[in-house]
Amino acid sequence: MRPENYQSVNHPPSNEFELFFGPNHPGIEGNYALKVRVNGDEVTSARADGGYLHRGFEKLMEGRLWIQNIALVPRICVPDPVPMEVCYSLAIEELGGIEVPERAQWIRVMQLELSRIAAHLFTFGGHAATTGMYTPMFWGIADRDLILDLFEELSGGRVYHIFNIPGGVRRDLPPGYLDRVSKTLDYIESRLPDYDNLLFTNKVFVHRATGVGVLNQEQALEWAVTGPNLRATGLDFDVRRDDPYLVYDQIEFDVPVEQAGDAWARALVRRSELKESLRILRQVVAKLPSVGGPIRAPIPNPLAWNLPAGDVYTRVESSKGELAYYVVSNGGDKPYRVHVRGPSAMHAVQVLENLVTGARIEDVAQIMFSLDACPPEVDR
Amino acid sequence: MSDIDYKDRGSLLNPLKSFAFFGRPAVTEAIEPRPASDNYRGFHVNDWTKCVGCSTCQKVCDNAAITMVRIPGLIADPVKGIRDERPAIDYGRCCWCGLCVDICPTGSLALSREYVHTCVDAELDSYFVLPDSSGMHGQHFEKGWAKTADADLVDLDRQKMPEMEPEQRIGNFAEMLLGYDDQQALLEASRCVQCGMCHDACPTHMHAPEYIRAIWEGKLEEAVAWIYQTNPFAHICGRVCTRRCEDACSIGHRGEPIAIRWLKRYAMDAVPHERVKQIALAGKVDTPTGKRVAIIGGGPAGLTAAFDLAKKGHAVTVFEALAEPGGMTRWGIPEYRLPYDRIDRDIDVIRSAGVDIRCNVRIGQDITLDQLRAGHDAVLLALGLQQGRQTRIPHSEHEKVFRAVDLLNKITANEPFDVPHCAVVIGGGNVAMDIARSLARLQKQQYGQVNVVVTALEEQQHFMADPDEIKEALEEGIVIRDQCGPQGCEIDAAGKLVGLKTWKVLSIFDENKRFAPRYDEAGETIHACDTVIEAIGQSADTSLLGDTLTEALEWNRGRIKVDADGRTSEAWLWSAGDMVNGPDVVHAVADGHRVATSIDAVLMEQKK
Amino acid sequence: MKLSPTSNLSASLEFLLQEISGLRSQWKSPRRLRVDLQAETLPALIELLKGRAGFVHLSAISCVDWPAQNEFELVYHLWSYEVKVLVMAHIRIPRDPGIYLSIYDLYRPAAFFERDIHEMFGLFFEGSPDMGKFILTEWDGPPPMRKEFDGEAWVMNQFDWQDYQPGWLKDIEAKGGGITTRPEDVRRDKPKPWDEQS
Repeated sequence: MRPENYQSVNHPPSNEFELFFGPNHPGIEGNYALKVRVNGDEVTSARADGGYLHRGFEKLMEGRLWIQNIALVPRICVPDPVPMEVCYSLAIEELGGIEVPERAQWIRVMQLELSRIAAHLFTFGGHAATTGMYTPMFWGIADRDLILDLFEELSGGRVYHIFNIPGGVRRDLPPGYLDRVSKTLDYIESRLPDYDNLLFTNKVFVHRATGVGVLNQEQALEWAVTGPNLRATGLDFDVRRDDPYLVYDQIEFDVPVEQAGDAWARALVRRSELKESLRILRQVVAKLPSVGGPIRAPIPNPLAWNLPAGDVYTRVESSKGELAYYVVSNGGDKPYRVHVRGPSAMHAVQVLENLVTGARIEDVAQIMFSLDACPPEVDR
Repeated sequence: MSDIDYKDRGSLLNPLKSFAFFGRPAVTEAIEPRPASDNYRGFHVNDWTKCVGCSTCQKVCDNAAITMVRIPGLIADPVKGIRDERPAIDYGRCCWCGLCVDICPTGSLALSREYVHTCVDAELDSYFVLPDSSGMHGQHFEKGWAKTADADLVDLDRQKMPEMEPEQRIGNFAEMLLGYDDQQALLEASRCVQCGMCHDACPTHMHAPEYIRAIWEGKLEEAVAWIYQTNPFAHICGRVCTRRCEDACSIGHRGEPIAIRWLKRYAMDAVPHERVKQIALAGKVDTPTGKRVAIIGGGPAGLTAAFDLAKKGHAVTVFEALAEPGGMTRWGIPEYRLPYDRIDRDIDVIRSAGVDIRCNVRIGQDITLDQLRAGHDAVLLALGLQQGRQTRIPHSEHEKVFRAVDLLNKITANEPFDVPHCAVVIGGGNVAMDIARSLARLQKQQYGQVNVVVTALEEQQHFMADPDEIKEALEEGIVIRDQCGPQGCEIDAAGKLVGLKTWKVLSIFDENKRFAPRYDEAGETIHACDTVIEAIGQSADTSLLGDTLTEALEWNRGRIKVDADGRTSEAWLWSAGDMVNGPDVVHAVADGHRVATSIDAVLMEQKK
Repeated sequence: MKLSPTSNLSASLEFLLQEISGLRSQWKSPRRLRVDLQAETLPALIELLKGRAGFVHLSAISCVDWPAQNEFELVYHLWSYEVKVLVMAHIRIPRDPGIYLSIYDLYRPAAFFERDIHEMFGLFFEGSPDMGKFILTEWDGPPPMRKEFDGEAWVMNQFDWQDYQPGWLKDIEAKGGGITTRPEDVRRDKPKPWDEQS
């Protein structure tokens, strides 16, 4: 029964609709919206709409001591928090002229790669889900949990590890830790054929992902695409190798590259990176016992720690792409300015808007997820 | 290129591979909360027996989640640096980063492995928790994130004070400590966690956290301004203060306390004297009150009171019996610890406040007390403790038995005397060290070698003297023989002093904690020497009061009885400093402030 | 001259940069070149770097507020995939009226950074495709990243804080104890006695 005050609306004859993807949508890891105009099944225009996760991190950091911000930065990207901590710490260390002990550097690499595996497991689980396949997602999340267990053991926190501190890391490895890392690596390695079986040689997924959201290399460079998304367009570039930080220059690894530039190529790059991360981690596990020494350079009392005036731009390769911190000190005990350049700030806004335009409505979610965007990096 | 053969069309039977999963265990999670890892960052636990309520956790908390709560019944001892406060955590704000644990100076805080807490809206108060060592819900959980040595955020090691090597310093009276340079001062100041225990412990409640912070910020003039808020004996206390502050310092619970005294010294030395004068005199009242105050004794107590009263506009005259003002800081403390020019600077600041200091005026001889009383609205007695106490052991009246203060006076006044070839000092306090080390220097100058023995009742680690003093004395070749009770001076047939006889001390106090030393005669030692020096304490010479006034005043165990404001039982007379409190420069300064406030209040009341 | 990875990198890049008048450059590390220049010459530098030195990647544009000098500092972080050097070009522009030129026509990503800076600092970029709201859709206060905006004060003002009255606190208060220092008490500088006197 219709309410008494019901009035029928006379729509103009049109096939155009405006749809909201989000702000709560599984197509992206966090609250984010995409306003999509569709004509029939085809997207005619799209506009990203952020702001649902804005917490004012950059402003908050200006009001906190240098060291207090270590509890803040991992929150900028929940699925892949370690690069945030490391990148911020690297900036402070460069400003303060602090030499990070070698052992701490190896421990950082270990965390970074564990975090990358966790993030990638999360991502292609999600990517599969956007094509209607939910099992990879369950598997991905369940296996990611094993890495979170390792983080819990190391840092006392599963998601926000708050473990990297300017100068190094906060604790040494617990006894027997590397054995357990090895065991988890073995397990994840043994799971790779299962993933391939389930997803990467799965005809449904291959066909659904091929030719979707194609980005050629020229476009990718024009729109400042970075990370796996850039490597999926055939450009062989990785910050870890080409602008090295920590001890990555002592580690052997390949940079996987694909040519197609579509959602499928992006998924494949991530899949191959899993293998490379495992390879890096094996080297770290083998190397760490022989690297002795302190885990943290001596740092001043955090309550009375002025960093020399100056500015620094540090970059790391996160699982999503090029992550950078621009940190300015005016000689005080707090940052004067911190600018977080998250890779998703590019991917989730201009790139997404462009890729989605002209795509079919059922592919929108997949394109969103295949870019592996993390909204808090946009909103900060 | 990916090595995945996704172009392979595969077999129709491929899905059969899935049957393999029947043989694998399913991924399961228990419904019960899972036990957390060994260094899990769960709810706080706080060992109240270790926690001193310093609130450093509150300062490092990046989420403003920590509130300090005063809990009656807990120990509160400012001298030891313990407050009856404990941190309470707001779990609506806490993010479990554990910085509070890593910085906790005592190591009392830890995070436990307990991590589940749920409640309905009506129970939101349960989010505000006062952690103790029994977990948040009264259940025992193991410690999780706790302090480790390599993760400590507190710097436990003090910057080493540069000093002259023993062989360099022994032959002269040049200041042996060289003072921090800028970098050392900055590093030392940066160790401070600003807990303020030092402020509470200091008799005059110096703003140590504030001036340390100012030094760290490079604002040295601001540091001086903070120092002069409470202490006009800034140079002097920067060198020879008994530094109760450092005993109370939170960092001292596990490491070396902040060198608060050396930082004060650094700030005072770094700012030009003329600028110090300007800073010190800020806030001085321009219009004279017309009231006149006489102060007897130009030591720390008298001059502090004089400085305060002068700044408040009163006309202050200080009468000093000796040739120079400064009291024991000048006449008792040797030059190598406190150079005279530093004393002169402090005195100059006080003089520039308008204080009239008249030296070589002995009340009772040059002017009578009655004359003073007649000419002034208030009189302050701050005589200090100038008379050395005597052991009164057999033969101690011998001419080669001296009181330490008398000799120290002579050394300051540059009066010649026979430097003993071999001296034995009785006493284990700072004065004993001062005279021993001064004599050692004179011996080195005149005879080329040191021959001084210090004997005291206590074991060496319980000497009253500053441990640094003992260490330095030993470095300079002074011999310390502890647990020696003096029994008599040895005189030879020619009447010459040849030694000191001591017995081994078994205990010093009886069961009622009264002074009643017991000796073991079997442990008799004769310390050969040509001079014995008694350094067992001082007393005040109150003869200037005269019989009538001595009669009229109330006394307490040989000291003039005063109320909390320093007033004696005579309305016009106040008393302060060592003669009331016993020897301690910073205590005397505190006392000076206290009587100055009282005198000012009374005088301003009269004026109305 | 075209820059190539094989050439003597620092020398060639510096030689190239000499074409911009009034430019000062400083190597902060082997892959970081800091460049300070006049705001008017920035477009020329950008064109030079992109066109002739292969700096195709605009990594970020950062804005720093310097109220004491009444200036905004803009930092353009440009990366070259060929020579693998990051150039940080610093310019200063007056805070008032706070208008500068967009570099969108050379670098598309500038649209995002310029809009972000416009929202957060209130600095307008002429020629940028979209200066509308993005993150702070429902915000009508001052640009929050400016130094004069006190975020903490705004938060304290804006939100009601939970007033806890747990049983243990009531017991302690009944015995004469209670809260001595709240967290907000230690977050502000204490007044100095000589300031009060004056």
